[in-house]
Amino acid sequence: MSGTVGAPVSRIEGLSKVTGEARYAADFPLAGLAHGWIVQSTIARGRVESVDAGAALQMPGVLAVVTATNAMRLQDVDDGELLVLQDQQVHYRGQTVALVVGDTLEQARAAADGLPVEYQAEPHDVLLSASHPRLFAPDHVNPNLPTDTLTGDVEAGLAGAAVTVDHTYSTPAEHNNPMEPHATTAFWDGDRLTVYDSNQGATRVHQALVRLFGLEDSAVRVVSEHVGGGFGSKGGARSQAVLAAMAARMLGRPIRVVLSRKQLFSLVGYRTPTIQRVRLGSDRGGRLVALDHQVVEQTSTVYEFAEQTAVFSRVMYATPNLSTSHRLVALDVPTPRWMRAPGEAPGSFAVESAMDELAEACGVDPIELRIRNEPVTEPEGGRPFSSRNLIACLREGASRFRWAERDPRPGTRRDGQWLMGTGVAASTYPARSAPSTASVSAQEDGSFIVRLTAADIGTGARTALTQVAADELQVPMDKVEVRIGDSDFGPAMIAGGSMGMASWGWVVVKACRQLIADIDRCGGVPDDGLVARADTADDIAAQADLVRHSFGAQFAEVRVDVDTGEIRVPRLLGVFAAGRIVNAKTARSQLIGGMTMGLSMALFEESLMDAEFGDYLNHDFAGYHIAANADVQRIDATWIDEEDDQLNPLGVKGIGEIGIVGTAAAIANAVYHATGQRQRHLPIRPDRVLSP
Amino acid sequence: MPERVATLSPIRLSVNGREYQLELDHRTTLLDALRENLDLTGSKKGCDHGQCGACTVMLDGRRANACLIFAVAAQTHDITTIEGVGAAGNLHPLQQAFIDHDGLQCGYCTPGQICSAVAMLAEVEAGWPSAVTPDVAAGPVDLDESETRERMSGNLCRCGAYVNIVAAIQDVVG
Amino acid sequence: MTILSPTSIDEAVAALADPAIQVLAGGTDFMVEVNAGHRRPDKVLSLRHIPELRTWEQLPARDDPAHVRLGATVTYTDMLQPDLAQLLPALAHAARTVGSPQIRNAGTIGGNLATASPAGDTLPVLAALEAVVEVASPLGVRDIPVATFITGPKRTALSPGELIVAVRLPLLDGHQEFRKIGVRNAMVIAVASLALAVDTRTRTVRCALGSVGPGPIRATEAEEWLAGTIDWDRPAATTEAPDLAYFGRLVAGAAQPIDDHRGTAAYRRHAIGVLAERAAAQAFGAGSAA
Repeated sequence: MSGTVGAPVSRIEGLSKVTGEARYAADFPLAGLAHGWIVQSTIARGRVESVDAGAALQMPGVLAVVTATNAMRLQDVDDGELLVLQDQQVHYRGQTVALVVGDTLEQARAAADGLPVEYQAEPHDVLLSASHPRLFAPDHVNPNLPTDTLTGDVEAGLAGAAVTVDHTYSTPAEHNNPMEPHATTAFWDGDRLTVYDSNQGATRVHQALVRLFGLEDSAVRVVSEHVGGGFGSKGGARSQAVLAAMAARMLGRPIRVVLSRKQLFSLVGYRTPTIQRVRLGSDRGGRLVALDHQVVEQTSTVYEFAEQTAVFSRVMYATPNLSTSHRLVALDVPTPRWMRAPGEAPGSFAVESAMDELAEACGVDPIELRIRNEPVTEPEGGRPFSSRNLIACLREGASRFRWAERDPRPGTRRDGQWLMGTGVAASTYPARSAPSTASVSAQEDGSFIVRLTAADIGTGARTALTQVAADELQVPMDKVEVRIGDSDFGPAMIAGGSMGMASWGWVVVKACRQLIADIDRCGGVPDDGLVARADTADDIAAQADLVRHSFGAQFAEVRVDVDTGEIRVPRLLGVFAAGRIVNAKTARSQLIGGMTMGLSMALFEESLMDAEFGDYLNHDFAGYHIAANADVQRIDATWIDEEDDQLNPLGVKGIGEIGIVGTAAAIANAVYHATGQRQRHLPIRPDRVLSP
Repeated sequence: MPERVATLSPIRLSVNGREYQLELDHRTTLLDALRENLDLTGSKKGCDHGQCGACTVMLDGRRANACLIFAVAAQTHDITTIEGVGAAGNLHPLQQAFIDHDGLQCGYCTPGQICSAVAMLAEVEAGWPSAVTPDVAAGPVDLDESETRERMSGNLCRCGAYVNIVAAIQDVVG
Repeated sequence: MTILSPTSIDEAVAALADPAIQVLAGGTDFMVEVNAGHRRPDKVLSLRHIPELRTWEQLPARDDPAHVRLGATVTYTDMLQPDLAQLLPALAHAARTVGSPQIRNAGTIGGNLATASPAGDTLPVLAALEAVVEVASPLGVRDIPVATFITGPKRTALSPGELIVAVRLPLLDGHQEFRKIGVRNAMVIAVASLALAVDTRTRTVRCALGSVGPGPIRATEAEEWLAGTIDWDRPAATTEAPDLAYFGRLVAGAAQPIDDHRGTAAYRRHAIGVLAERAAAQAFGAGSAA
């Protein structure tokens, strides 16, 4: 393929974003629009006894107080978080117990702020521990993977190992915190519902609303042209969409429901805290003879989400004895869900830290250690890889980072008050595709319109898909308009799981090829144009049973204040093998963005559970720190050329998640190299540096 | 419940060189007035607490979080929002640089970043020191990468576009 | 809710006769509380349009030493400007580290005092400089030393109906600085902060701590020890530098930190000692500025 694919093309909607013209879900002015404000429970477990709406309804501009006693009845779905205001049960603090609707935002908020809600509280249980009495093995872990795996005999392997590492690592609850809070503007035109919604895939929101409200597919339209980030928290419908649609139906007016930043901490998901015991056994040269990865994490009582934290260990390193396990406890907490690289992000922190500890114990260079443990086939299961270029990434990164000059001894480099160190970690993420549909229409003026329910949440998907279509149709990019973010275009994969480009690119390629064949057959584009449609369900079902993963190597340089434990990260480098890169500019941005979030995860991010009240207490940006501009210095991301014809017609693996995988471990390993103090718990706060 | 009566007043806002007359609830913040009453939705609400900078506008050329000021109190200021910084065909150099250097991903923080950067360049021009300027009683400021990062730290970006934002600003500074 | 926007101090003070009215200055704390739903005012008194509160002046050296008088709504941005920074370097240092540029454009010295957050960045400086708060009421104006103005976390000696109109700070001869540790590199609430001011005329050292107690804490024992140790005739004497680590330990001993989500008490106590040692080294140690 020649043409624009691979080129560093500026994002197509950049102009509308830098001028403020781009409209997000809360930006659509509608005549008669009213505003809903969510009232949240102040207990973590129990029942709502009563909501006294009397005084609120007397306040000027207040239109309704929607509670479990007067809410529209919804059809059952498998996600309890969407069955909002359907009963009086309180499952966690911050759960929605009412929606106050007013003519203006100020009126709705004023009434919501003072709304009297009586509860019957029960004792709550909100703290995760590795010895929690109600730990259980879930049926499967996200998305539908085995809970436990076992190859060989790990205990025997460890018993016979010359060198062992056995440590427990932990990661805290982390909140996605996209800059755009979840928002929905909903209105009904007769029996047809339209929502402007902030999500990572209008198809899933469409499906949820169809089911909840018992409607035909054609009776719901979800529009999401611009979305202000998601990082997993907008992967499916969230309750604000349900509330807006419900209130709009009840009141016969357009309704907007926008979550506050604080509400994001309870209503849209977060990354579960994890407690991970990793045991490694190796020979004296660091060749693994056993790897055991045991994970404990939490879910809520509303919806079972089991993060696949140990799956990282199932693909990374060759060992004859390998076991992984996940145990879960359902607490009276908000429901954890996807957050960028669910599974691999926290799992890689533990395993890649442990590998660094093993390297130290064996006296083997950390890169060499990983090369020595490179598997030929998938360590768990034995399937072949479609392609695997971890070693190439490590070597390329080592060269760029001047790793060979590194003195391995910890705690020996100092520049004034600063201790200096460098670290490395490996990363991986699955490269999957999911069925999608698309249409491409040839216009009589020689231009083309591609329609599919893709989402551009900042990934550059709109631009990359335009490149793909232009190349397939063999026209310049300005002859192709890609329209996305509209469920009327038919079902498609979400922007999630690093599957967007692989899934959408595939169906766009297929539709374009179909259209070209149709044009050839017709001897040109007829006067009334020509449309081709494609669906990749059968193609994806027919794929060979291979392990498809991207891989990468992350390098970090840190400086640690010898007295205060403050940490600075002057340099990060990521080298990735992620199949074909469609847009060199936006891809680099996305990888750097993932690494930036990884830096943030390593040093700052931590949602703290208040055991007494049962709530995450640092629920704003003053309490929940994400990296600011001054925290980020030199970060570069690059990739190696990787051709893999076992993926999809484009040969892309997806790059949304891999940037965050391994970053925290690389930084933790660099902090060890700087200070000689191992950091096994995130975030690496200054007080932990001084007293780990 | 306390008495929560809305006081409505006729107010005048000067935004992007245009005068707007409107009847406004005193509880309305400048951010909500811009978005809900004037349909200037480029200014975004990211936190409503002045902790993210997505609502950054300029009041008399100085950057401000529009969520932290009541609209009624903003009447005396000349307000500039992203819509007043530059539009298609007449972009501010920073807007073009953000496109060229990919200083944005989801774009939600972008209007605030650009308004912040526009005002920041004026602050540097005026010789305002920052936390990383070495001398307290500083003279001219050299807007290097470190100064740029510090001075742009009131605008959070969750997509992690900081590296490219700094590159875009450095490009404009030259 | 109604907003009043007086244009003079007299008008503002008169309006404060209404006990329901709440004072709004830069809004960087007040509006957060409003937008979070924690503060639900019925009446708001906005100080934004009172020009006499927005200015600062250097008072003639009638008294010894000379003073700077900052109007209550002088902003952090005003404080970090070179003209004021030359006079009050520690205050400028502190102002540079407050929140973000946007916050610094809005937040005021009076607001920092009235909020009286244990992490208020200017408060250690005001405490170290022994600033005096001018408070107006229908009865007139009274002076309250900062040490007694802040009575606890988010608590002040301000009586109902009183308005902070100005803060007076002495001009000292000698090195002064402000240091702060936070988790993030910018836009961060202090885990520990410290102001150090040397007065070569009175041969005293003033050191006040922030974020390690209910309010700013003066480390008086440490101050006296340091003032008694250094050679005032050659304050920058590098070879006879006092035992700055001991100074750090004394300062740490004065701290009253608690555990919270930003840091443990033990870390805060350790960190404040490090800040003290570094500040003293800057003032009196090798290559010092004093």
